Amino acid sequence: MSAVAQEPAVVLDRIHKQFGDLVVVRDVSLTVARGEVVAIIGPSGSGKSTLLRCINLLERADSGRVEVVGRAVEPGAGVAGRDLAALRRSVGMVFQSFNLFPHMTVLRNVSLPQERVLGRSRAEADARSRQLLERVGLAAKADTYPSRCSGGQQQRVAIARALALDPEVMLFDEPTSALDPELGLEVLAVMRELAADGMTMVVVTHEIHFAADVADRVVVMADGAVLEEGTPEQVLRSPSTERARRFLSAVVDR
Amino acid sequence: MEVLEAVLLGVPVTLLVTVAALALGAVLAVPLAAARRSRVVPLRWLGRVVIDVVRGIPPVVWLFLIFFGLGRDLIRLEPIEAGIIGLGVISAGYLAEIYRGGLSAVHAGQWEAASALGMGGTDTLVRVVAPQAFRVSLPAVTTYAISLLKDSTIVSAIGVSEILFRATQSARSTGAGLTPFFVAAAVYILLSAPLAWLSRGLDARLRARVAR
Amino acid sequence: MTGLLTSWGEWLPRLLEGLVTSVELTAASLLLGIPLGLVLALLSSSRTRAVRWAAIALVEIGRGTPALVMLQFVYYGLPSAGLSLTAFVSAVAALSLTTAGYTSEILRGGLQAVPAGETEAAGALGMSHRDTLRFVVVPQGVRIALPSLMGFAILIFQATSLTFTISVVELLSQAYSIGAATFRYLDVLVLAGLLYLAVTIPAGLLTNRTERRLSRHL
Ligand SMILES: Nc1ncnc2c1ncn2[C@@H]1O[C@H](COP(=O)(O)OP(=O)(O)O)[C@@H](O)[C@H]1O
Ligand SMILES: [Mg+2]
Repeated sequence: MSAVAQEPAVVLDRIHKQFGDLVVVRDVSLTVARGEVVAIIGPSGSGKSTLLRCINLLERADSGRVEVVGRAVEPGAGVAGRDLAALRRSVGMVFQSFNLFPHMTVLRNVSLPQERVLGRSRAEADARSRQLLERVGLAAKADTYPSRCSGGQQQRVAIARALALDPEVMLFDEPTSALDPELGLEVLAVMRELAADGMTMVVVTHEIHFAADVADRVVVMADGAVLEEGTPEQVLRSPSTERARRFLSAVVDR
Repeated sequence: MEVLEAVLLGVPVTLLVTVAALALGAVLAVPLAAARRSRVVPLRWLGRVVIDVVRGIPPVVWLFLIFFGLGRDLIRLEPIEAGIIGLGVISAGYLAEIYRGGLSAVHAGQWEAASALGMGGTDTLVRVVAPQAFRVSLPAVTTYAISLLKDSTIVSAIGVSEILFRATQSARSTGAGLTPFFVAAAVYILLSAPLAWLSRGLDARLRARVAR
Repeated sequence: MTGLLTSWGEWLPRLLEGLVTSVELTAASLLLGIPLGLVLALLSSSRTRAVRWAAIALVEIGRGTPALVMLQFVYYGLPSAGLSLTAFVSAVAALSLTTAGYTSEILRGGLQAVPAGETEAAGALGMSHRDTLRFVVVPQGVRIALPSLMGFAILIFQATSLTFTISVVELLSQAYSIGAATFRYLDVLVLAGLLYLAVTIPAGLLTNRTERRLSRHL
């Protein structure tokens, strides 16, 4: 492997984040290698979303260092608009609630950010969008509005929209939690393919099967800290802490 | 200072017109709102037409209709009487819609629960629904009162010597220029501030106490 | 009765002329006032405190000052500060300021109703703050605010009747001068009232329809 490939995609070094007096993330360190798929699981309120959002700077950590595809952000230091845009462009994010723009067609949703952020022409952007919509199985939906799509379809559009900026890392924050199980499967299928293609992914999820099958590594968080970390077999079969065991049996028994 | 005094002399007149018109409107709005929700279709339509006509004609046109139109030929009215009647009629139109909104905001389950308990229709309306509707409507009524306070300036057009009338007069007679208008604007903003504050507070507190 | 209709027929052309002026005033005030209102709405949530407060102060003055005070101020007051405007221009200036004050609040409500998740998604995609406003927040916020803006447009149309006090020759002013000449105030004012209704009632229906249509689609 080349030196560049060895360089990790994401480095979180002793991240601390609190809202007022509430400490949400305490001293969490996490390194994600290129091409690696990391699943973060844990009870709700444990700080998973916040940690994820520290990666693309939707939240600024109070202390600790964030390094994404070679760009380092020091705590407290300001980030110039240009650097922020560059970082956000190389990190795609998919939200629990899809967050498509409801007043634009599916195609515009995917094309607009390419035009505004990458400066692609409309024709270039649309061509790329159609290619990605094809890939997520939604070529036929290009000219409809999000409100005419099922939740699963909307989430696949959101994935295409993020992929259209050619990101190096993709973040997923409970991408199937707002979906009926059946529709969730469509989304998980797209994510599996993406992982198989070698995309670096950090996925906050309650889908234990997905974590077991797809993730290279599983991280269990509770109360703002990492409780366990390891291969899916290690963590899911034989968790070493009592807290993790309780959480896992609650999720698996459902 | 002279200007301030002149303008402030208009405050009681402005308040009198506003409060009297609001009171008149609050009473007249009750039958209108009732008609709007009546089971008798023609009555419902009549209510709607009256409300639309009242609200669809500019307030100052209403004042002219009452003061110059009716006043000249039929009943002699003092300017301030015409002003109160005109603004009162308009308030009735707006308040009727506010009452109606309040009544429909009360959950249908409240009617059902009351009738399941064996309460009659009138009893339910008076004891269960109306008090809740009142709470829901109060912030809107307060907001309307603020706009009525400002609309009351138009009675100056038929010669009632309220705040604006005195301000304009003082601007013309003393050559004080802009000052009287600044004073007038400040007085209106000061008069409406407590009402606005009240309305915001009421909104949060009263809504919390209404079953949905 | 036929006598009344004959008179109405005689007066109608002058009143319609006045109505055209009223509509022109409305259009001009909305065309100037709404964009100004949008700017104020955006500035009133500015991250710079001084800008935010200045915008909020302007809005409160625009909304808190009765339209008639604004009119008299511009027409009778400003000349003493060396600024003399024609009656029509004064009317447009005053009504635009009032429009800006009210519509900025309406638009602010619309902008705030745009889900925060969308703004966040735009940010996560690397879109600039300005692009996010331009392509995501403003188009949706304006759409959400549309029925209220239409309702306000009806009120400002009604408010043009106040400009007769600064001798703009609009509908009410035409009616009043016919009344003064014929002493048939009631007859001519009723016709003027009907003409106002001919605009406000259809406009009200259109507003309701728009509201229903938009609430179905969003
Ligand atoms: N912007 C915020 N302001 C205040 N508290 C927040 C904010 N975002 C998250 N929190 C709190 O931080 C804690 C962790 O939230 P989150 O990261 O969303 O957890 P998870 O994604 O694991 O459910 C929760 O208690 C939540 O209420
Ligand atoms: Mg979360």
